[in-house]
Amino acid sequence: MLLIMLLSSILSFAESTSTDEKVVGVFYMTPLFGHVHQSSVRTSASLTTIQCAHPVKVIESSKVSISKEWVYVEVADYRGFVLKQYLSETKPECLQGKYPKFFDALNMDLSELYYWGRLYDHYIQGETRVQ
Amino acid sequence: MIITFRAKLAFSSFLLLFTAMAFAQTPKLLEEKELEVVNFKSIKKVLQQDGLSQSAKEKKKQVAVMKTEQLSIEKDRFNYPSEDELWGFVSEFWLVKNAQLLGWDFEKPDYGLESSFSSTLQSLGFYQKKFKILLVNTPTMVRASLPGSEGEMILLLSVPFIRSLDLSKLEISLLLLEDYFRLEGGYFKKAVSTDKLKKLAGTSFHGSKPDLSLVEELMKNYDFQVNQKGFSFQQQFETTKKMDSYLKSNPELWNAYFRLLGKLQSFLNVNVQYKNYLKLYPSPEMQIKWISPEEKIL
Repeated sequence: MLLIMLLSSILSFAESTSTDEKVVGVFYMTPLFGHVHQSSVRTSASLTTIQCAHPVKVIESSKVSISKEWVYVEVADYRGFVLKQYLSETKPECLQGKYPKFFDALNMDLSELYYWGRLYDHYIQGETRVQ
Repeated sequence: MIITFRAKLAFSSFLLLFTAMAFAQTPKLLEEKELEVVNFKSIKKVLQQDGLSQSAKEKKKQVAVMKTEQLSIEKDRFNYPSEDELWGFVSEFWLVKNAQLLGWDFEKPDYGLESSFSSTLQSLGFYQKKFKILLVNTPTMVRASLPGSEGEMILLLSVPFIRSLDLSKLEISLLLLEDYFRLEGGYFKKAVSTDKLKKLAGTSFHGSKPDLSLVEELMKNYDFQVNQKGFSFQQQFETTKKMDSYLKSNPELWNAYFRLLGKLQSFLNVNVQYKNYLKLYPSPEMQIKWISPEEKIL
């Protein structure tokens, strides 16, 4: 009896975790560099820095509630938050990819890559449109 | 015995003769046959009739085109970015290099600048304009406008300055509009551009190392323009007159701009911390004079 109860609880747990999460799709980073954040706040700590055109798995989870501005993502071993405006469904044409030899020659250090990602966290971006 | 020997001799000579005859009649070797098969000349007429020689020629051409394309793709990997791409890249690289000095990596309140600046631009008829605003946490660099790629503008504004002057959203938007006009006027690009930029942008450095002094020189010029050189009286006059002509159609905005210049003048006259501002952006006092309506003598 105890074994049956244990088994059913394990099964129900497995079911709930599988229905909790859904992979929305794979998207690509659009800015030159960007961060996967620990929380859905622009100034929150960075889990990892990723560069333009890096694939990002967007996940929908009932356990994670976030504002429309952010998405919950999985990148390599990290799970965190990325600003939605910096993701694209199609692979973007990036400066690093277009001019790889020039970019490599700049030999940017880690702190520069970090700050470049932060720059995009702090930008207030806009575009005027015909009303 | 002799008979047997004669018979043997006759048989062997017959064999020899037969072999010699057979050797003389042997057709071409297998390799020769194969050669004949791959020798297009020998079957040229057949190939021409079948159109195969034409397709072989086309294939050759295709391979040649593909090889040239591959070479050009490989060569493109060694290109400098175009001038437009370089402006955006260098502006951001300058911001990254000066992250600590400018102190832009800090938590700040949401001033609602995206919507307020967008609506100010839109109310004046500026559409399809892309902008990035970066708030900095230093009183030493009050404001600047840097060129981005694809016509984008990067506008910098100091939060300590906003706080000291207690600027409203509208007033901030008007300051940003001034900076937008300066950028549109091309003053910044003209001041920091180098011969190397014009010469190297978009070219290839295939077979040699890239000349990175192109970026270094531009960055130095950025430093000098933003922190020391600023804008001339003539450039300020042109910018102020442009503001005046655009804002005149909207009295509310024009009055806000006029009041803002007065606010700046009185604040900067007494505040030593911002004395460099007057050197870089001469001068609110003159700006007020340039746009003040002429007094009518009755």
